[in-house]
Amino acid sequence: MDYDLGADAVELRKRLRDLISTQIPEGFLGACTDDPKDLATTESFCKLLASDGLLALAWPKEHGGGGGSVWQQTVLREEMWAHHEPRGAQYMGINWVGPALMRYGTPEQKARHLSAISAGEVIWCQGFSEPEAGTDLASLRTRAVPDGDGWRVTGQKVWTSYAQMASWCVLAACTDPHAPKPQRLSLFLVPMDRPGITVRPIRSMLGPHHLNEVFLDGVEVFADEVLGEVGDGWRVMREALAFERVGIARYARCESLLDRMQNELGDDWDRLPESIRVRWVRALMDLRVARLLAYRAVSLQDDKSAGPAASAARIATTTCDQQVAELLFDVLGPSALDSGTSARLHGAVEDHWRYAQAATVASGTIEVQRMLVARETLGDHG
Amino acid sequence: MNTALPEDITEFGAVAAKRFTRFGGPPAALQAETDDRVRHDARVALADLGAFDLDVRSADDDLLAAAVLCEAAGAAALPYPLVEELLAIDGARLALVNPETPRIDHGDLAGDWIAADLDGTRYHVQPSPRTSAKLGPFLVPATLTEPDGTVSPADVDLHLTLGSWRILGAVQQALEITRQHVTARMQFGKPLAEFQAVRFTIADASVAVRGLYELAKYTISRTGSTAAQVRSADALMLRLKATDTARQVLRTAHQLLGALGFCDESDVSILDRHTQPLIRLPVSSEVIALRLMPGVRGGQLETLFSEPVAAEPV
Repeated sequence: MDYDLGADAVELRKRLRDLISTQIPEGFLGACTDDPKDLATTESFCKLLASDGLLALAWPKEHGGGGGSVWQQTVLREEMWAHHEPRGAQYMGINWVGPALMRYGTPEQKARHLSAISAGEVIWCQGFSEPEAGTDLASLRTRAVPDGDGWRVTGQKVWTSYAQMASWCVLAACTDPHAPKPQRLSLFLVPMDRPGITVRPIRSMLGPHHLNEVFLDGVEVFADEVLGEVGDGWRVMREALAFERVGIARYARCESLLDRMQNELGDDWDRLPESIRVRWVRALMDLRVARLLAYRAVSLQDDKSAGPAASAARIATTTCDQQVAELLFDVLGPSALDSGTSARLHGAVEDHWRYAQAATVASGTIEVQRMLVARETLGDHG
Repeated sequence: MNTALPEDITEFGAVAAKRFTRFGGPPAALQAETDDRVRHDARVALADLGAFDLDVRSADDDLLAAAVLCEAAGAAALPYPLVEELLAIDGARLALVNPETPRIDHGDLAGDWIAADLDGTRYHVQPSPRTSAKLGPFLVPATLTEPDGTVSPADVDLHLTLGSWRILGAVQQALEITRQHVTARMQFGKPLAEFQAVRFTIADASVAVRGLYELAKYTISRTGSTAAQVRSADALMLRLKATDTARQVLRTAHQLLGALGFCDESDVSILDRHTQPLIRLPVSSEVIALRLMPGVRGGQLETLFSEPVAAEPV
């Protein structure tokens, strides 16, 4: 038993921190801000990562990846999230669209998409959630009606991250409404500039670009755009999302923010109310536990217990996100609501609080994670 | 990185669990409240397992073996001061105490005792007779001498760490009993396990126990390789997590077992009552958190971003 990430992973962490310190401007808070320069920063940073084989670090080299170890991938996830995800919207293509293409894509689909994703040249969005189908994706209503050699897709997607900037979408639609639920859906790889697609941004506390509605009005899709088999979309979707099961390394940003805040406070830290300092101790304890649960889930890899282990890690890390958000707001007191570059930590605390509200909702709600943990412990009752 | 215990250690833990089941498990602990021969038999069970041959201070494998032994002992509420004897100094069991209100679990057992507080200050002790308390039935008040030197800080840390492994075993067992109960107990025509509120409560308890297990493994795996101040913070942090988890899981167990959980015919009652000294002593979780506070700025509470802590000269 050892907790050594390995020399290559430690070296990678140093290299990434060096890269970030030289390439990412101070006060950077991610791609989804009002400042268009932030989006440009992520685009140039992704190309830089790609040129070093770091963008698709986890991918096999034959697909333009870096062939990195799982612990190097873990370090990459930690450092990117800790530094406000300077890959911007690229992580979706890298983390699950690409791996799903490797597993289910046709040779033509792989040739068309994989190298573009690994080079950081293309942004993907995920057309899954609908107004009437969020967590219960198998119930989605967007219809793909046969038309010639392909289908016409009509319906509405919602909460679609990055839809405004994406050039491709993995679109889930119902191809057979009379089939049993698991066989109703198919996945399509659709360019976002295809006629009939309209994107409408949704104003939210998460900032511009982030959430969108996507309207599909008789959008033409073709047989060679199906990912996997027709009617097998539910299974592909579930397995594809399992590539992301460990999820975002939220604990890393929390630890980073606490570290930065502590440095900024200096001796004032000792003058914080004792109750806050005790909460700080407990937050560091809970973050360490969340990190170790994530490491456990990573180490299990393809073991059948990996799924519930990842759910446990997600419950721990998403609740830490909100715990740290509240702690830091209480540390700042009246200035907690200040935003913008003149705010403490360049507005990172206010930014973190807003995003933390989504932590237990995005990519599988905490209730779903609890169901998965309970299923392992209690079986399939209920 | 390999976060799994070595196979031989896991096997040793399974053997220990079997031996403690043969000894009688928590019901034997209940019997020990009124029959001192049971505690003697508990020591025999430990000796059968080679517990007292383990060199927890200097042999890494022995320390891991001691950890899973403590875990198994915690699950059985084994009525014996195992950690105290594993860390005996010159044949005297080592108790961790709060000098303001010294209490020693199993302090009435024959044999020598010495005590230390969390700062490592050493005391000679005079244990008093048992008081037959419900919570901590083997807990005795003790009288301390004036401070008499120190014990190794590493001993204090190991004490906290191995005690946390006992708590781990107790909460794992409490969760398992609860799991069995909610899958078997029918209410409103279906098992309790079909109610979502029950499932979510079990899930939260399960996450807490998994987290404690991961932290326990992590802490013990690096006990011998970190700077002394970091090792101390690690041990306190583990104990803090263990006591938090114990309170959550035992509360969950009581709630879901209903009235049965208060009765000594349920192992939950025995586990809860007998584990209380580990949860409350030598100091409360709030005091542990206060002791950890200076480690935030000092960097002893390591994170991905803290600077390495230099080892203090011994």
